[in-house]
Amino acid sequence: MTMISPAVQLKRLVTLVRTEVLVLPSRVIVAMFVLALLGLPLVSQNPYLIRVIILTSVFAILAASWDLLSGFTGQMNFGHALFFGMGAYTSALLNIHFAIPPWGSVPMGALAAVLTGLIVGIPCLRLRGTYLALTTMAFPIILMGIVFALPDLTGGELGISGLQRLSNSLVGNYYIYVVTMLVLSAVMWKITDSHTGIIFHAIREDELAVRASGINTTRYKLMAFCLSGFFAGISGGMYAHYMRIAGPSTLEVSMSFSVVIWAVFGGLATIYGPIAAVFVLFPFLEFVRFWPEYRTMIFAVVVLLILLYMPEGIVHWARDKMEKECPRCKIRNVATRKSCRVCTALLD
Amino acid sequence: MTVPFLEVEGLTKSFGGLRAVNDVKFRMEQKEVLGLIGPNGAGKTTLLRLLTGILKPDSGSVRFKGKELVGHKLWDIVNMGVACTFQNMRPFRRLPIIANVMVSCLSPRSMGRGEWVKVVEAKAMDALEFAGISDMALEKASTLSQGDLKRLEVARAVATDPELLLLDEPFGGLSPAETELMAKSIRRLHKGGRFGRLHSEGPAMIIVEHKLQQLMKIVDRIVVLNFGTLLAEGTPEEVVNNPRVIEAYLGQQGGQ
Repeated sequence: MTMISPAVQLKRLVTLVRTEVLVLPSRVIVAMFVLALLGLPLVSQNPYLIRVIILTSVFAILAASWDLLSGFTGQMNFGHALFFGMGAYTSALLNIHFAIPPWGSVPMGALAAVLTGLIVGIPCLRLRGTYLALTTMAFPIILMGIVFALPDLTGGELGISGLQRLSNSLVGNYYIYVVTMLVLSAVMWKITDSHTGIIFHAIREDELAVRASGINTTRYKLMAFCLSGFFAGISGGMYAHYMRIAGPSTLEVSMSFSVVIWAVFGGLATIYGPIAAVFVLFPFLEFVRFWPEYRTMIFAVVVLLILLYMPEGIVHWARDKMEKECPRCKIRNVATRKSCRVCTALLD
Repeated sequence: MTVPFLEVEGLTKSFGGLRAVNDVKFRMEQKEVLGLIGPNGAGKTTLLRLLTGILKPDSGSVRFKGKELVGHKLWDIVNMGVACTFQNMRPFRRLPIIANVMVSCLSPRSMGRGEWVKVVEAKAMDALEFAGISDMALEKASTLSQGDLKRLEVARAVATDPELLLLDEPFGGLSPAETELMAKSIRRLHKGGRFGRLHSEGPAMIIVEHKLQQLMKIVDRIVVLNFGTLLAEGTPEEVVNNPRVIEAYLGQQGGQ
């Protein structure tokens, strides 16, 4: 194998950026978003701002993991807080009682959430629609009952406090959370972009037809539960280690519903939609904090308006404004172009 | 003693008080094309659904190359080499057509056969080529016409490399020209051979159909069902001239 000189490599990279990233506004926005997140501490180290973005990152992972399960395979999970709380409590218990450092306890919490995914997934295999939604909603409530029943172990209503942080420096923590969020989002997006993702999509459309194509849908549905549980478990563990407390609030019904609101607001079955939604809604909720009595109402009105006028979610809406799909080759183009950048067919 | 290719014995299925399929028994040879006809509500679709495991029979057995199919899951049966199409087409409407077929190509059976095909996309494309809808590969399935949806159903079934193909009304709702095209594809598939990277050994087929004229040209043998029971069996000529079949379709002649 011949070595490629750094100059040539750089040139290739520049070409790649020019031909693949700069051609589409949506990709430019994603690139700018990533660069802005990574560069923020160089500009401002305001602890409040950093804290908001760290929490936003945690919830972005959570919302994307819900989308991986419910947006893609169509199994509406209204109890996603179960995975979040399971990850939070498991890593908290391991950190406090067994003195396992955060980089060990967070993955263990994620594994516990995967196991929970299996336990919840198996009874849910036969359920659909409303029944599935109600059943999944019950599980976090059950876990909350267990938490309150064992106050010596779980701290009851007070939760488990005094956890170690992942890093003790402000900027260190920021980078750990933001980079983890970016990497996990990329992994989730890659999963949904693969052949497995096609099968997930197909299961949502028509499960019987997928079975008739010779695919073991049980296995794929369980896989979706476990994958989703894994990512949600990581976000739960990281949340607990950042807040330094794992409390029953992680299991609340409102937590499960926030996830659904974020995902629907952003656009289902996209992965990047829910992430974008969390990055819009969560800071927005912080922003209207100066008007506390109307906070929730403003939030509700905004969500309602968006759902009324952009039923497919903000991401689809924004993308359709900026880009057009080529009628022939289905490749996306900037809305200002007259002809497709690949097949030169006329865009109308 | 040779093992029969497909052997159905005493197959019975009731829905409440209605015996949809009652003690049906027939055999089928390898490479044979079997027509399954009968008046509306005779239990033809139910019989196909029993064969593929979508429905569980109350009693009876289905042996495919000596292996019992009853009790297996639908996807296991498909991976054993029995593929089916749906009468009321069930495409993945919001997915591109190529993705519809790729799901079949991702089944363990399809992935394990034809070592030279490692690229799922290419194989799916060849299945579409065979069915004659490859030029619309990137369109969403929801934009397809009735006839093209039927073709998509066939492409999806063919992509699993079946040895026995169960077609439920492949000509249903098609115009005469489309019917002609579909009949041609079915004959071509039965002959076997290579369609691009897709290799067909010429699967045996069971075809449920109401358009008897077209069906007669394709099938070797016909099985007639009426009220869930086997009414007649034989070559197309025998069946058409069988008085019991005529009676089932047209009713008894008055005054006799």
